[in-house]
Amino acid sequence: MAVNGEKPKRLRDYNIHSERVLMRNKEPGVFERELGPEDLQDKLMLTTVEKAVAWSQGNSIWPATFGLACCAIEMMSIVSSRYDIARFGAEVFRSSPRQADLLIVSGRVAHKMAGPLRQIYDQMLEPKWVIAMGACASSGGMFNNYTVLQGVDKVVAVDIHVPGCPPRPEALVEGIIRLQEKIKAGVPPAYEIRGVAS
Amino acid sequence: MAIVQRRRIYEGSRIPSPIPTVLTTPSELEGSADIMRINFGPNHPSMHGVLRLIIDLEGERVVGTEAVIGYLHTGFEKTMEHKSWWKAITYPERIDYVGFQNDELVFVLAIEKLLGLEVPPKATWMRMLLCELNRIHSHLVFLGTAALELGAISMFWYCFRERDQVLDLFELVTGARMHTRYFQAGGLAEDIPSGFFAEAREFCDWMPKAVDDYEALIGRQEIWLERTQGIGLLSAEDAIALGQSGPVLRASGVDWDLRRAQPYLAYDEVEFGVPVYPNGDVYDRYRVRVDEMRESVRIVEQCLDRLEGMQGEPWITDDRKVVLPPRHELHTSMESLIHHFKIVTEGYRVPEGEVYVAIESPRGEKGCYVVSDGGPRPWRVKFRAPSFVALEATATCMHDALVADLIAIVGSLDSVMGDTDR
Amino acid sequence: MTFEGVPGLVETREEHGETTLVVDPARLREACLHLRDREGFNYLSDITSTDYLGWGKRGVAGYYGTEQGRDLNYPAGLGVSVASQGYGRLPRPKPKRFSVNYHLLGLRDGAPRVRVQVWIDDGETLESVIPVWPTADWHEREAWDMMGIRFEGHPNLRRILMEDDWEGHPLRKDYPIGGEPVRFSEEQ
Repeated sequence: MAVNGEKPKRLRDYNIHSERVLMRNKEPGVFERELGPEDLQDKLMLTTVEKAVAWSQGNSIWPATFGLACCAIEMMSIVSSRYDIARFGAEVFRSSPRQADLLIVSGRVAHKMAGPLRQIYDQMLEPKWVIAMGACASSGGMFNNYTVLQGVDKVVAVDIHVPGCPPRPEALVEGIIRLQEKIKAGVPPAYEIRGVAS
Repeated sequence: MAIVQRRRIYEGSRIPSPIPTVLTTPSELEGSADIMRINFGPNHPSMHGVLRLIIDLEGERVVGTEAVIGYLHTGFEKTMEHKSWWKAITYPERIDYVGFQNDELVFVLAIEKLLGLEVPPKATWMRMLLCELNRIHSHLVFLGTAALELGAISMFWYCFRERDQVLDLFELVTGARMHTRYFQAGGLAEDIPSGFFAEAREFCDWMPKAVDDYEALIGRQEIWLERTQGIGLLSAEDAIALGQSGPVLRASGVDWDLRRAQPYLAYDEVEFGVPVYPNGDVYDRYRVRVDEMRESVRIVEQCLDRLEGMQGEPWITDDRKVVLPPRHELHTSMESLIHHFKIVTEGYRVPEGEVYVAIESPRGEKGCYVVSDGGPRPWRVKFRAPSFVALEATATCMHDALVADLIAIVGSLDSVMGDTDR
Repeated sequence: MTFEGVPGLVETREEHGETTLVVDPARLREACLHLRDREGFNYLSDITSTDYLGWGKRGVAGYYGTEQGRDLNYPAGLGVSVASQGYGRLPRPKPKRFSVNYHLLGLRDGAPRVRVQVWIDDGETLESVIPVWPTADWHEREAWDMMGIRFEGHPNLRRILMEDDWEGHPLRKDYPIGGEPVRFSEEQ
C-alpha cells in the first residue's frame, strides 16, 4: 500500500501499539489499512487529554444486552466467573441502550429484527461501538436465505467482527480487548470512519 | 401406569376464547383510561431472546396479552431442503441452541429410520450420555437465567460454573463447546477419546452437590417461594389441550415422559425417575427441572458404566453406502474409494418415504418430520418445536398476573426463541 | 388398532412402523373429533404442511431411468433396478399439490401415534381444528404463513413468523431461497 513510493506511517511510528505486543513485526494491521494510506496524524487524536479520555473510554465499555441466538449463550458465559469480562471493564450489561457503549450483536439477525436492531443502535449515545459476534452477524453465516440479514453491517456500522459459530468465549474476549486497544489508540468508531449515519 | 394425576388446580378450563393464545381485555375495561398498552419488546433484559409481548395493563395487573414471535426466523426448513443429508445435520443444532444435542439426535434418528440403519450400541449409549449432559446444560441455563430475572442474581454465576464444566466435557469429546456436530447417520463421527471417562466421573461426583447448593440457595428462600408459588397456574387438562410437553406438563400433574412411554435409544435399559408435581405453577416447574438434573446425573453414571465396557467397539455402522469408509481402506480397496467419492460428492441417498420421530428434549417433545423423495437432499423437514407450543400457553397462564409475575411465568415456560421461530 | 370407524377415511398406510390415515378434507374435523373422543388421541403434536410441486421431476440418478422410459440397463416399468441399491426408481406420484399432516398422540400406555393426512390443491381451504385441540392455533397460523393454506374458522389467521406485510409464502417450492450470491475473492 505504498503511496508515492514512500512506506506509509504505521501506528507504531507514533509509539502506539494497537496490535498485540507479541506481533511487533506484523504487516500493517486492519486499523492502519482502514484509516487509509494518508498520514495518520490527522486521523488520530493524540493530545494528552484525548489520550486520557480514550483510555477511560476503553477501560469501561458497558455492553448492551442484545443477545439473539446461540452466540448469546456464549456471550452470557463471558459474564460468568470463568471468562470474567468484568476484569476488562465491562462490569455490567446495561439493559437500556441509552446507558450502553457497546452493542454486541450476537446471533443471526432476521429481517423482522433488523428494524428493532437499528432502533436500539440509534438510541445509543455516541461514542458507540458495535461488535458483530459470530458468523451470522458478520456475514449471514451458514444461512444464505430469504430471511437472514447477510451481515449486520448492512444495518449498523461494525467495528469488530468476531468469527466462530459460536465463537469461544475467549474469542469474544479477544474481540473486546482488540476493541479496547483500538479505542486507546485513538481510532475513531466505525460510523465516523465510514461516514454513515450514527 | 397412571398417566394423569387428577387434581383440581382450578375449575374448568382457562383457555381464552375465541383465540386460545390471546388473552383479550374484558370489554368493560376496554377503552377506559386505566388501560395501558405496553410493548414488552423483542429486545429486553430478561434472557429469553427475541420474544415480543403486547400487554394491556390495568395498574400492575395484566388484563390482556398477546405474544408476537418471528424475530429469529431463520428459514431452517427451507435451507435444509437445499443441502445434502450430511450437510443438513449441521442445521438442526442451531434451532434449539441450548439443547443442541437433542435436535441433532432427532434429525439423525429420522434419517436412520428412513434408511433402516442399525446403529452400534456404543453409539447409542454415547448419544444417550451426551443428550443427558445436554439436558443438565439446558436446565442450568434455565435456572441461572430464570433466577437472574427474578432477582436472585448470584444463582447465575453458580449455574454457569457447572455449565462450563459440562461444556468442557463436550469439548473433550467432540472438539467444540456448543453445536458439536458429533452425531452422524449411523453412529458417531469419531471414537470417544481416552480421557473422557475419568473426567465425566468427576463431574458426576461433583454435580449432585452442586444441585444441593442450588436448592440451598433459593429452594426455600422466602422471596423465591412467594414469587413462584401459586403463579402461572396451568391445569392438567389445559396443558394437554394446549399441547404442552416436558417439564411444563409434568409440573401440572401429568405423568408423561417420552423416555419412558416410547423409549428411544436405550432408555428402557437405564433406571431413572421422572419427577411429577401436582400444582401446575412456576415453583413446580422449577422443581421438576432441578429434580431432572439429578436424574440425568444418574443416567450419565449408568451410561458411563456401560461404555467403559465397550472400549474398542465400532462407533459407527458399517454400511458403506451411507458412512465413509475408514481412511486406511482407501489405499487398498477400490470399492471403498468409489463409496467415498459418491458419498462426498453427491451424498448418500435416503429412500422415499415420510417419517416422524419424537424425543424428549429438555423443553418437551421435540419432533422431526422428514419427507424424502429418494434423492440426496431432503424434500421437507419440519421440526415440532416444544418452545413454539409452550408460548401458546402464555395467555392461559397469565390470568390474574401482575407484571412481576409475567416475567416469572414466561421464564418458567423455558422457551428458546431459536426453537420457536426456526 | 383399527381405524375403520374414522369418518372420511380414504386410505390407511403403514410404513416404518407408523400409521398414516388419509382423510377426505371435507370431513377433517369429524375425523379429528372421532379420533379424539373415540380412539383417545387427546394430544396434537404437530401440524405439518408439505408442498409436492416438482415431485419426481428430478428423475433418478445416473442414466438408467428417466420419466420418458427406461434405459437399457433398467428393468421395465418402475420396478427396482438391480444396479441402484433400490433407489433407481421414480418416487410414487402424489394425488395433489399440498399435504397437511396432523400428528396425533394418545397419552396412555404404549404411546400410540397416528398421522392424519389430507391432500389439497392451491386455493382450497381446510376446516380449523381449534375446537378439537386448541393448540392448533399457532400451527395453523404457521401453515398459512409458510405455505399459504387457509383454514376456515380460524379466529386469528395472520402471519406469525414473517413480517405482517410479507408477500409470498416462503416454504413453497416455487419461492426462491433468497439470500445473496456468494462471491469469491479471486473473481473479478
